[in-house]
Amino acid sequence: MLTDGEQERYERQLLLREIGEEGQKKLKGASVFVAGAGGLGCSAALYLAAAGVGRMRLVDHDRVEPGNLNRQVLHWDEDIGRTKAASATAKLKRFNNRMDIEPVENILTTDNVSQLVAGFDVIVDALDNLPARYVLNRAALEQNIPLFHGAVYGFEGRATTIIPGETACLRCVCRDTIPGETFPVIGVTPAVIGCIQATEVIKYIAGCGRLLTNRLLIYDGLNMSFAEYRIKKDPHCDHCGDAKANG
Amino acid sequence: MSIAINIHQSFQHLANARSVVEVKGGNVGECLNDLIRQCPELKRWLFDKKNRLFHYVEIYVNQESSYPEELAMPVKDGDTLSMTLTLAGG
Repeated sequence: MLTDGEQERYERQLLLREIGEEGQKKLKGASVFVAGAGGLGCSAALYLAAAGVGRMRLVDHDRVEPGNLNRQVLHWDEDIGRTKAASATAKLKRFNNRMDIEPVENILTTDNVSQLVAGFDVIVDALDNLPARYVLNRAALEQNIPLFHGAVYGFEGRATTIIPGETACLRCVCRDTIPGETFPVIGVTPAVIGCIQATEVIKYIAGCGRLLTNRLLIYDGLNMSFAEYRIKKDPHCDHCGDAKANG
Repeated sequence: MSIAINIHQSFQHLANARSVVEVKGGNVGECLNDLIRQCPELKRWLFDKKNRLFHYVEIYVNQESSYPEELAMPVKDGDTLSMTLTLAGG
C-alpha cells in the first residue's frame, strides 16, 4: 500500500507502465545491500533512494578524505574525517526519510560477509578493489542474491548484472586488474556507472526490461561511446564452476 | 582482407596513436603476435615473461569474450578483435 505522500513523491515514475503502483510497492518492499560508499556507491545509493527503495544497508570502513570529494558526492567538506557510511547515511536520510537505511562501518571479509548480506534482495558491488569484490561475489553466489557490478578507471567504466546459477559471475569475467595502487578517475565516470547499476536494480526489483546479464557494458567517456560485449559462464570457474570446491 | 584490432585507449600511444590496427592471423594469439610485430612496445603490456597474456587484458572477438580459449580462439578475415582492460576502481 502506498501512502498519499508516496503517491505524490513518486508520481512521475508511477506513470511508467513498467513501474506503476505494483512496481512501486515492490521497490518499497525491497532491501538493497550497497557495498562501498565511494564514487559508485554514492551514485547508486542516491538514485535507489530517489526511486523509493524501502531498505538499504550501506557498508564502508573508510573515512572521508579531501581527495574523495571530486567524485563521492554524498560526502562534503564538512565530512572530512567522518566515516563514509555515516556521512552517506546522513545525506540519504535527509534526501528520502522514508527509506530505512543502516550504515555499517566495517570492512567486508570472508568471516563477516555472509552474515552482512543475508536476507537482502540484491547486492550492489560498488567496491574499489578486486579481492574485496571476489569476497562479495562468492557471498552473492552462495546466498543466491543477484549482484550488480560496476567498476571505473579514468574516463572508462563498466557494468554487468550477475544472477547466481544463471549467468557469468564476476570471477568468470575479471581475473586481475591493471597494476597500480591509486586509480585515476574523474567524478562523472562513477556517476554514470552508479546510475547504470541503480537502473539495473530498479528493473530487477520491478520485474521490467532486459537485464545486463551475460553482457558487459563498457562506457568510454573520452569518446562518449558505449560498447557491449557478450560474456559467458566459465565452466571451470573457481567461484561458480566445477573448480569452486578448490577455490 | 585482414582482421581489425581495436586498441584500448590506454595503449594507443604505443600503436602510433592508432585506435585500430589491421593484422593477420588464424587465431587470437597469431593476431596479437602480428600486432606486436607492428607495435613492439605493446608487448610488455600484453604478455608476461613467459609469453602468457596478462589476466587484466581482455580480448573479444566480434564482441564475444575469447575466454577461456583466449589465444587459441580461431578468427577469420573480416573479424574484429577488441582489447579491453579489467577495471576494479569504485
